[in-house]
Amino acid sequence: MTNAPTRTAAGRRESSAASATETGRIPVGQQAVLSCAGIERSFGGLKALKGVGLHVEEGEIFGLVGPNGSGKTTMVNVMTGFYPPNAGTVTLFGRDVTGMAPHRIASLGVSRTFQNLALFKGMSVLDNILLGRHTHMRPGALASLFYWVWAQREELANRRVVEEIIEFMQLEDIRDEPVEVIPIGLQKRVELARALAAEPRFLILDEPMAGMNQEEKEYIARFILDARDERDVSILIIEHHMDVVTAICDRVVVLSYGEIIAEGEPRAAIADPKVVKAYLGERAAARHAGIAP
Amino acid sequence: MFYRRAGIRHTRYQDERQIWPLPFDRGLVIAVFLLALAAPFFLDRLYLVGYMLPWIIWSTAALGLNFLMGGAGQIHLGYGAVIAIGAYGSVHMVRSGIPFEIAMIGGGLLSASVGIVFGAAALRVKGLYLAMATLAMQYIVDFVIVHFPTISGGTQATIQVPRVSFLGLAVVGDAPTYYVALFVCIVVTLFMLNVKRTSLGRALAAVREKDYAAAIIGVNTFRYKLLAFWVSSFIGGVVGSVLAVCYYRAISPDQFHLELSIQLVAMVIVGGLGSVLGSFFGAALILFAPILLNQAIGFMAGGMGVAISTDLRSHVPLMLYGAMIIGFLLWEPLGLAKIYSNIRNYFLVWPFRHARQ
Repeated sequence: MTNAPTRTAAGRRESSAASATETGRIPVGQQAVLSCAGIERSFGGLKALKGVGLHVEEGEIFGLVGPNGSGKTTMVNVMTGFYPPNAGTVTLFGRDVTGMAPHRIASLGVSRTFQNLALFKGMSVLDNILLGRHTHMRPGALASLFYWVWAQREELANRRVVEEIIEFMQLEDIRDEPVEVIPIGLQKRVELARALAAEPRFLILDEPMAGMNQEEKEYIARFILDARDERDVSILIIEHHMDVVTAICDRVVVLSYGEIIAEGEPRAAIADPKVVKAYLGERAAARHAGIAP
Repeated sequence: MFYRRAGIRHTRYQDERQIWPLPFDRGLVIAVFLLALAAPFFLDRLYLVGYMLPWIIWSTAALGLNFLMGGAGQIHLGYGAVIAIGAYGSVHMVRSGIPFEIAMIGGGLLSASVGIVFGAAALRVKGLYLAMATLAMQYIVDFVIVHFPTISGGTQATIQVPRVSFLGLAVVGDAPTYYVALFVCIVVTLFMLNVKRTSLGRALAAVREKDYAAAIIGVNTFRYKLLAFWVSSFIGGVVGSVLAVCYYRAISPDQFHLELSIQLVAMVIVGGLGSVLGSFFGAALILFAPILLNQAIGFMAGGMGVAISTDLRSHVPLMLYGAMIIGFLLWEPLGLAKIYSNIRNYFLVWPFRHARQ
């Protein structure tokens, strides 16, 4: 695990070269967007994370996978400031953010979506996405009172940005609907739109495809790839659908019981006997090893 | 029928984001505004001073409380105390020679600075516990006002409000006091309407709905909860000042007890949480329903010859009043504003019953 950075950096060069030829995008510098070192976090007697270290590089789609209860969401909550780690450091864009409050981490350019939707009920799709622009706006009581003089221009400028996102995410026909009446698949897309509206440099997606059918999954996968390529975001994604993980991730880390058991190129990592064992159990792992080429 | 939406095409974002995007609504608001402006000329003095003036003032107070309860989702059972601080603060300022305009703002600032201290409890506690914390504010402020002769002027004392002028006009007589109250009401109403369509209103709504999701989009939940208490208390203080100068003209501690706070909460809930129009409806119901019921019972007792004992006669209106509030909330838990909005939505698609609005 300690020699991981060099190995993965090499892997990254290959994959970024591949994606560059694919999308015509010039590979960006090998700067780490996020690096976590020795993260430990426990809840009472339960050690949810036991010294996890990982790093996400600029312009990559990084997969965080593992069986239920392996600590993926806890890890994300540590990165975004909800659970300060008991030990270890979190560095975002070269800046130590360990123990920083979530709203301050958000203002550094980090957005995230939640495993269970976290949209604001009673507001329209448009207002929800406009909320994503919060860090770019300057709300104030006097600005609201003198709307026409102080706030209108800012509101309209941000509205234009939001309309771009709405077009990008193909949400035009539901922009005025109350957010609670649209189907879950679309709600997930609205949440992704809200996260993108903040124009983040780093986007964290916690199971964006949970409960979706194949078609909806493909849609979201396409949006994620487009977001990376067109909007220059580095993405960390937690996902259980292995077909998606192998299709869109540049690199993955597999967690089990709060420890990294495999990492690297997605296909290789999920074929690792330890990963198969963690997901399917001892016997299935043995069978898998027998039939593997 | 009235509210035709067909054929109305907005081509600019600012047109779509107007406070009232439909022409009919705009016409209605202008008509109501003109009626309110002209009220002193055609309304009887009794109706102007006895009904319109308190309605406007209490609606403004309900708006201030609604900003906190409906906008930011924080309950406040001590809003009467907030109003009391503003009233006493500004009256003392006026008595010491400070102009009314400044005393009004001063009363607001005083309320805001005390209110934010108790609002700080909202950073730690929610729901019923916050209700208890704000209830404590009510009792503490009541106690302080009564027991400090420099504030209340001594036990059982009433403080007279001296004659004042507002923006160069003497606030004496019925019409000027009415216009001062109306002016403050319009400013607060405009603020409330604009808050809903700006980033401040959205950030507060985010804090109200899901504070963890608010944090992840960069909203500092602590800051916005405190800001909500500050702004709401400021409005409460200004209303207290208007109430003292324009309506009561002499203030005593018993005008600002817990009943007032409860009545204000009732106005907000019956009217509709978070609704500007609802605050006016709620204030009207809570103010006028007892009067109307009382007169109706009196009419029945006197005019129709139904024998009702005096005991019953004084209590039946109160019972009916309670039943009415429960009835309205059972019919539409989202308040009178929602009932209005249902009727409006019906007319939006009339003669069809169901259509995408």
